[in-house]
Amino acid sequence: MFERFTKDAREVVKGAVAQAEEERARTVDAGHLLLALLGREAGRGSSVLAALGVTARRDSMIRALAEARRLAGLSQAETEALAGLGIDVARIVARVEEVHGAGAMSGSPKGKAWWGGGRPSFGREARTVLEKSLRVALARRDRSIGDQHLLLALTTLPGVPAEVLADHGVTYESVTRVLDGGGEARAG
Amino acid sequence: MTEATDLAEQAGDRDPRVGLRAVAALRRLLEQLEAVQVRSARNQGWSWQEIAAELGVSRQAVHKKYGRR
Repeated sequence: MFERFTKDAREVVKGAVAQAEEERARTVDAGHLLLALLGREAGRGSSVLAALGVTARRDSMIRALAEARRLAGLSQAETEALAGLGIDVARIVARVEEVHGAGAMSGSPKGKAWWGGGRPSFGREARTVLEKSLRVALARRDRSIGDQHLLLALTTLPGVPAEVLADHGVTYESVTRVLDGGGEARAG
Repeated sequence: MTEATDLAEQAGDRDPRVGLRAVAALRRLLEQLEAVQVRSARNQGWSWQEIAAELGVSRQAVHKKYGRR
């Protein structure tokens, strides 16, 4: 599958690994792929984000991703499903942070890689994004898999990245609108 | 209003989607909590055997999950 990835898509994947390493995370996840995508200026995916007016709001997206990571990496939908059971995620995280420090529930503690170090592995979630990007490319009858397909995959898979993207006006529909010629489309 | 509360209101608590999503979320929360506690125990010098005994799993299971790779 990987040989069908464009140079831009490969750069995003490499960037995601670098991002995970920087956070000393055990695994590369979908959030790292989105951060890598947001950090790039070249590529169709990046130009779609620019066309949707997201580039200027990049910091807001990065903050939203970091906050979700702090809250155990759960999406809004998951947090609310737990609230339905009477489980207050924010409160649990606050309690744990009181004892174990800020970011304790983020799954990527700063400092020494406590599990023994080594390169982060590509997690199941990140692999799902890559597989989905292949299916998206096939459905759109594109020959290769570019960073725009990674972006489309991220908008469709339930979880924090899709929620953060949607909150900033980036959905499967708005991305395909830009890709299919409506270059003037705006987020929102 | 977000998706989950919408679903809950539309279908009450009987909508399996809400219930299943809560279970999946709980599992993720549990994984994070376990990682925090295992790390804390290791930092305080606990052996894998001691940690495994408290968690009610085998030493191999804990070591495989959190041990040096």
